[in-house]
Amino acid sequence: MWAINLRIFGVVLGTLALYTLIANKIPQVQSEVPRALSLGANVTPEQLVAAGDQLFHGAGGCTTCHGLGTRAPNLLTDEKGQGPIGARCGKREPGKDCKAYLYESLTNPRAYVVPGYEPIMPDMGRTLSPQQLWALVAFLESNGGTVDVSASDIPAASAAPGANSGAAGAPTAAGIANGSMDPMAIIRGAGCTGCHKINGEGGAIGPDLTHVGSRLSANLIRESILTPDAKVAKGYEKFKGIMPKVFGNQLTGAQLEALVQFLAAHK
Amino acid sequence: MTENLSLIQAVADTVSAYRDFPLIGSRAAVWIAAEIHLMFAAFVLGVPIFAVVAEAIGIFGKDPRYDRLSKEFTRLLLIAYSATAIWGAVFVILLSTLYQPLWAYLTAIFGPSMWLYVGIFFFESFTLYLYYYGWDRWKYGRAKIVHWCLGILLNIWGTIVMFIADSWLTYMMTPPRDITPQTAPASIKIWHAILNHTWMPINIHRLIGNVVFGGAIVGAYASYRFLAARTDEERAHYDWMGYVGNFIAMSALIVLPFAGYWLGREIYQYDQSLGITMMGGFMSWLWVIQAFLIAVLFLAGNYYLWVGMGRIPGAERYRPYTKWLLVVLVLGALVWGTPHTMIADSRELAAMGGSHHPLLGALGVMSAKNTAVNLMILSTFLSFLLYRRANIRQVVPWAKTGTRIQGAMFVIAAAIVLFFGIRGYFVEAIVRIGYSVYQVGAVLACIVFVTIIDVLMARGAQSLGAIQWGKMPPRSQYALFVLAVTFTWLMGLMGFARSGIRQHWHVYGVMLDTTPYAATPALGYAAIMISTCVLIFLSLVGFIFWLGGLAEKSTFVPSTVEAPHVGH
Repeated sequence: MWAINLRIFGVVLGTLALYTLIANKIPQVQSEVPRALSLGANVTPEQLVAAGDQLFHGAGGCTTCHGLGTRAPNLLTDEKGQGPIGARCGKREPGKDCKAYLYESLTNPRAYVVPGYEPIMPDMGRTLSPQQLWALVAFLESNGGTVDVSASDIPAASAAPGANSGAAGAPTAAGIANGSMDPMAIIRGAGCTGCHKINGEGGAIGPDLTHVGSRLSANLIRESILTPDAKVAKGYEKFKGIMPKVFGNQLTGAQLEALVQFLAAHK
Repeated sequence: MTENLSLIQAVADTVSAYRDFPLIGSRAAVWIAAEIHLMFAAFVLGVPIFAVVAEAIGIFGKDPRYDRLSKEFTRLLLIAYSATAIWGAVFVILLSTLYQPLWAYLTAIFGPSMWLYVGIFFFESFTLYLYYYGWDRWKYGRAKIVHWCLGILLNIWGTIVMFIADSWLTYMMTPPRDITPQTAPASIKIWHAILNHTWMPINIHRLIGNVVFGGAIVGAYASYRFLAARTDEERAHYDWMGYVGNFIAMSALIVLPFAGYWLGREIYQYDQSLGITMMGGFMSWLWVIQAFLIAVLFLAGNYYLWVGMGRIPGAERYRPYTKWLLVVLVLGALVWGTPHTMIADSRELAAMGGSHHPLLGALGVMSAKNTAVNLMILSTFLSFLLYRRANIRQVVPWAKTGTRIQGAMFVIAAAIVLFFGIRGYFVEAIVRIGYSVYQVGAVLACIVFVTIIDVLMARGAQSLGAIQWGKMPPRSQYALFVLAVTFTWLMGLMGFARSGIRQHWHVYGVMLDTTPYAATPALGYAAIMISTCVLIFLSLVGFIFWLGGLAEKSTFVPSTVEAPHVGH
């Protein structure tokens, strides 16, 4: 009987040892806690870049998707012949400099979905502090570009979209697209074309807005912008929840009305 | 007096502090207590399902062996309940003393459900006592049906208890979106917190998982008793019991992945970043380990069946096919275990020549993996089918046609699986995800219709000889042990995946973990913890089995009838 007990014990121990050994032989990746940054008024670009580097490769979780070439664009290496992110970020959106583009991409990632990729990136403003976000921007700029993030940007960040945990879409003073009243600039600045097509421009994830005025009244268009999930267009039910609910805070009142009237006129 | 009050106040003021546990730290202490409590909970929830089904087969199939089998396991449950309660108490004490802020937060929301939990556990325990001690008193006629209903009631209590506890842990993982760090816990409506995204998927996944686990533990118990048996009849009894345990575990295992898909989908729908962390982030290697473990389960389960065919007269007709089934299983396991988008450093990327391996990268995608696992399920089902028809010759006039139709169903199901697997490479991800439904549908339809035809074909079948229960080589019994250890380890691993995706949050997006143990450990450390928990759990289960043997002689009674062939 003792022999049987020993044999059973051996089988159990051997099986456990095998699984433990295999799990210890594969690459060991620990999920780090994002380190709180306390960057003073004299913070240098080098300090910001170093902090951003740590976040990018660690607690930020960026390498989960960026760098694989399948889920998200490469950032530190060339992407389709356009160079690393620092070299191309200034050219991605007309009228938007690299710094603004990168910050907005982190806090409102669905605004600028690169063609060929799915809108899967989470709003990093929910998990990272403004200081961490700006450190990431500085690090990304340093990859092929010039770092122009400075200490003066950081206090301003608290008023930027998604700056506070759980407070995505905090109001901006100037509105979207630097307060422009040009509806197409607002549409592009708000990232609508990441999902919606209008006049042949934009993606096909959400309903085409080219003739939206023939389907929806001005009131319904306004409601769809402010509370996108209230009424979901037929055939797009599975995308419910994707459209950000932040435009009520990001657009100025005048911008919102200009946008509503512009879309309502698209019959 | 004033000094005493000051002291009491000082203690009260530190109530929001975290504390550490000597030597192993607070995280490891809570991990071990929670994990072992959960394993015992799965045992005491899974085995009653097993027991009540066995009792029903005994009553309605008029086969007293199943009734004895059911009673034998209910006796073990009595001791296992105590162990579950003890580990539950240890867990609560550790959590409330080491992680006071989290405990205070959870009790502020879930307090009433915790009281209900305790109350139902009380009812559950006394229903169990009534169920076990009333076994011989309510043995015949209507009283037996009432007794069986007690078993059902026991399962209902157990399921409610599990559903309540699941609401606490799923809230930590997927709290409703409108709850923020600023939301006062006392202002959160309890139903709102309970009805979170992953509550029901976890409930269903655990319910099925408990059946698998119960079957595996029954199999391990039977194999131990088989190896220790002194007579042929005793050996035959436990051989049969081991077969029943394995049959139930493997049958439930086949549907478990579908519940897992649902859970995964809900996690993605709740928050893409949670899903990505789980499947492609720092946990991506975990799924390679999972694939390896499931491959072990499929191989060990099939191996047990193939060896078991040696004791069935007439099974030699099917032996040549087993090597091809083995080929499909091994190839399927290799494809399933192929890594795809893994976290890799620049050196590794350079060595691989890109983000994916040039050759194997194509096998690491979901299309290939879904195809592999569906073909593995089909192969395992075919093993069961060959096993169940091994010692009979069908006499219905349409037997040949029926067999051809069955064969055609297998071919069609495999063709559908392969077609959508290959087509998945040429379509977008959103379309590809939908293909898995067609693949799974084809496999399930094949299983259902082939089984129906087989049952109809077996009517009045001619026996080629009785199954020679007990004539199994000992190595087959060690396969059952490997199954039980692997199921238990897999449970620990999946628990780590579920809990670990919260990363440094107690309650995801709402309450940060600010202890020194907030970082989620790598898989190597997790594996050591899981193995430690499994070893403690299995040692205690072994002790319970031994106690069960001490307290009462085995319910084994020399049979006068041939043990039934499950499924006939």
